[in-house]
Amino acid sequence: MKQFRNMALPYIVWMGAMIVVPMLLILLYAFTDKGNDVATIRFSLENFARFFSDTVFMSVLKRSLYIAIITTVICILFGYPIAYVIANRSEKSKLFWILLITLPTWINMLVRTYAWMGILQDEGIINRMLGFLGIGPVHMIHTSFAVVLGMVYNFIPFMILQIYTGLTKMDKSYLEAASDLGANSVQSFLRVTLPLSIPGVISGITLVFLPAVSSFFIPKLLGGGQYVLIGNVIETEFLTSGDWNFGSAISLAMAVIIMFSMYITKKVDKDPAANGREDS
Amino acid sequence: MEKKKRRLFSKILLGLTAVFFYVPILYIILFSFNSSRSLTKFEGFSLRWYEKMFADSTMMQSVAYTVIIALLATIISTILGTLTAIGLSKSKKIMKGIVEQVNNLPILNPEIVTGIGLLMFFSALGVRKGFLTLLLAHIMFCIPYVILSVTPKLRSLDPNLADAALDLGATPMQALWKVIVPQIRPGIISGALIAFTMSFDDFIISYFVTGNGVNNISILVYTMSKRVNPSINALSTLVILLITLALFIVNIIPIVKEKKGSKLT
Amino acid sequence: MKKLIQFKNIVKDFDGKLVLKGINLDIYENEFVTLLGPSGCGKTTLLRILGGFLTQNEGEVLFDGEEITKVPPYKREINTVFQKYALFPHMNVYNNIAFGLKIKKEPKDIIEQKVKRMLKLVNLEEYADRNVTEMSGGQQQRVAIARALVNEPNVLLLDEPLGALDLKLRKEMQQELKKIQQEVGITFIYVTHDQEEALTMSDKIVVMKDGEIQQIGSPTDIYNEPVNQYVANFIGESNIIDGVMLEDYLVMFEDKKFKCVDFGFATGEKVDVVIRPEDLDIVPRAEGKLKGIVKSVLFKGVHYETIVETKVGTSITVKMMVSDDRPVYNESANEKISANDFYLDMDDVEELDEGTIVARADAQAWNPETDEYISIKEISYSIKKENGSYPVTFSTAAGTSVTVNMIVKDENRIANKEYQEEIFAVNFFKKADEIHESIALETDLKTWANASAWSLEDGTSVEITNVKYDFDPETLTPGVYEVTFATEGYEYKVDTTDRYEIGNEVGLIFQPEDIHIMTKQN
Repeated sequence: MKQFRNMALPYIVWMGAMIVVPMLLILLYAFTDKGNDVATIRFSLENFARFFSDTVFMSVLKRSLYIAIITTVICILFGYPIAYVIANRSEKSKLFWILLITLPTWINMLVRTYAWMGILQDEGIINRMLGFLGIGPVHMIHTSFAVVLGMVYNFIPFMILQIYTGLTKMDKSYLEAASDLGANSVQSFLRVTLPLSIPGVISGITLVFLPAVSSFFIPKLLGGGQYVLIGNVIETEFLTSGDWNFGSAISLAMAVIIMFSMYITKKVDKDPAANGREDS
Repeated sequence: MEKKKRRLFSKILLGLTAVFFYVPILYIILFSFNSSRSLTKFEGFSLRWYEKMFADSTMMQSVAYTVIIALLATIISTILGTLTAIGLSKSKKIMKGIVEQVNNLPILNPEIVTGIGLLMFFSALGVRKGFLTLLLAHIMFCIPYVILSVTPKLRSLDPNLADAALDLGATPMQALWKVIVPQIRPGIISGALIAFTMSFDDFIISYFVTGNGVNNISILVYTMSKRVNPSINALSTLVILLITLALFIVNIIPIVKEKKGSKLT
Repeated sequence: MKKLIQFKNIVKDFDGKLVLKGINLDIYENEFVTLLGPSGCGKTTLLRILGGFLTQNEGEVLFDGEEITKVPPYKREINTVFQKYALFPHMNVYNNIAFGLKIKKEPKDIIEQKVKRMLKLVNLEEYADRNVTEMSGGQQQRVAIARALVNEPNVLLLDEPLGALDLKLRKEMQQELKKIQQEVGITFIYVTHDQEEALTMSDKIVVMKDGEIQQIGSPTDIYNEPVNQYVANFIGESNIIDGVMLEDYLVMFEDKKFKCVDFGFATGEKVDVVIRPEDLDIVPRAEGKLKGIVKSVLFKGVHYETIVETKVGTSITVKMMVSDDRPVYNESANEKISANDFYLDMDDVEELDEGTIVARADAQAWNPETDEYISIKEISYSIKKENGSYPVTFSTAAGTSVTVNMIVKDENRIANKEYQEEIFAVNFFKKADEIHESIALETDLKTWANASAWSLEDGTSVEITNVKYDFDPETLTPGVYEVTFATEGYEYKVDTTDRYEIGNEVGLIFQPEDIHIMTKQN
């Protein structure tokens, strides 16, 4: 069936042009100065130096990581019980709830984020309801709370689906074995279900953390113009100030940070010390 | 007692989840019918924002661009992705490994990085930003998903299937079209579906590679949302309606077919 | 011995389908009990009810005299070795085995001691730190056994534990399991569909079918004295023949009287007679109690499995009329068409359709140059349900046509009272060429003669296993030939050490104690 092999050739060429070359361009721009045209390449680390020495940029980076971590933690804390409850329902009910949770993800993220703008206003529906109870108004729009809420709303379905898949794929006989060996339901959960569902949580973390760190429209819509995360900096460098070299350097730094955190997360999961002999 | 408590807990949790997911969507739909400009106070039913939307040529244009780009990107990426997946399944391991790794880059990379990479690529080539760059970019990020959804189906295929077809006298094209493609059809369909919604909903990559007045719905919502404009609610409602309808059809058709089929037998 | 477990009238259904229909079973201390039956017989369900993973709809399960239906699995003094072991993949061998002890919060040094002892028992001392996912099937199996036994249960349940292992390993583990059971001295309840496994290991076998117990007994009881045809067929190879009990110790089958050791049946009662293949011997024809012809011989390693046919089945002979008619040639359209006359039964006339006519007349049209088939567009005929000859015309789109006769004749069938079977076939016309070209002649002859056979008791179809003819298909010339179709007759499986040639005329002998008589099943 060698004649079929050639069918992959067009895409391999395409892939080289559309995926590899742009990546190389980012590298090229990141390591060269502004102003020199591509023909006279002069290697430089100045962009990185500027980024890492500027306290403003550093506080933006810190805030981005902070917001992303908070978002990820909240997604785990709420996503896990939701996935667990759904996974333990009847087959029909499972399908219904999974469809219910996937449905919004098919709707434009921007549209869904835009919806929260109205809800979180000072005179919005939440504050109106709080008003009935005699509380507030609580200022929510254009705060970190609003940004985290928007991110959780957009990204938690990924977490739920990953954990859910992990839980339903788990062989039910493991639980029967635990019960057979004397574990009650709480013990079975802590010693069998939870450890076996960690891989699902890890891939959920990847799917939440990655877009959360690099997001720029959620902070813009829900955080307001003054609320700047690393994604907004990149957007500005490319579309407003036009400093592609500096923008590329920031993107590269961000990508490296993301890859590094993914590597750490996966490493923790696979660490033999974590699943070796518990009592030695 | 214990069990009852647990059941109550799970019901409350699921109820709150449903509220959390759907209140914003219902909110948009409700306020698209608001008679006033307010995004917070509902002052009466009216269709004025829909009238405004249909009268607004940039809005209508963005809807047209979104749909056309999504359809073209879906068709092209589904064909190219399927052929590539089949080609790769017969290729050497090293080749397969390399292509799969590179293919995963757009999925693993933050979208913003893919977006700026393409922006610089198109500008280096001197291509004018607009419809063509937008379409190329959409095809680029759709193909990996098609390949990812077709490959597992190919892997579960009996490796002798194509050989059997050739042995029985089929030409390679016939073997491909009459034996392999029907077997992997579910993978191709789900790949096309993912490609369509990815393209239809995309904002970040589109935002960086388009220009010269060619906007899709997402970009329009982003640029317009800085000022209060309830027509956006109307447009969003339209998007919600379209996607829900598409999903409904996609999910219902197989069920109806199955029922008809079971009646016949 | 003490009764440890009592199942009392256990009924269980899944979605309205009864899988256990009132099981009553007592299990004693220190027994190795095997639940044996094909998949779907309810054996695993019964085991899972005892383990506490399922609840019966009706009936009681007593453990040590106490009803345990409401006791959750983790409080039962029973442990299970699961079908695919269910070893926790995130723990190593040591932690898998120590799981139950840790749950009970036993002191660390005790746990260590007990786990070590178990590892020794199952021969895995070196493997404590090994990841269970990296072990072979046999090793995983041992870990699963150790993990269950370390909790010192009174009963160990094993659900097809050797199913995933290859033959050689399975045999080794069978012996090892039996050894372990004798060493720890507790009750093993073992579920399997493998009769050989059951016979080698068990003290007691429970044969199940469709949610009911068929027979309970020791391996030798079950093998030598099966209670019915089902058990006899399931356990080992056997010849089962229809017979009639004439009086105590005297049975008649194949129209001959034989002495036997069974008694207590009604006079004239219809029975099933079982003779195991190893109890039959082949002797010269004159000395045999039964006489027959060697029909097939299979080499089985230590012996030959020889099949001796003592009586042919229901048979019918029909005439095959061979002609050398040439196909019709239409020069202008460059087409050839051919078809032949055929016989029809009265019943066939009613169900007649175009597809049947084309098949029975073997009508075909083709291009003589390219040999490509051309479809037959039109079939015109009229027929009545009366004896006679009716023309039928086949034509192609280009107008090439051929006319043949359909001959309706009274039915041609032969009933056989002894076998309660009926066989049917019709005379047929064929061209010599078609017989030369046939690549599966026996199958084609059956189709051409429309041969079929069925049971007179319930109408189910019976396979025609013998097709006999006395012509050489290679050199056949036009004329009339006889073809005989027959169903399977009485056949005996015999284990022999000598090799007999197919077609040898032989006799069969056996002793009265080799015959086992069973009540007929409905």
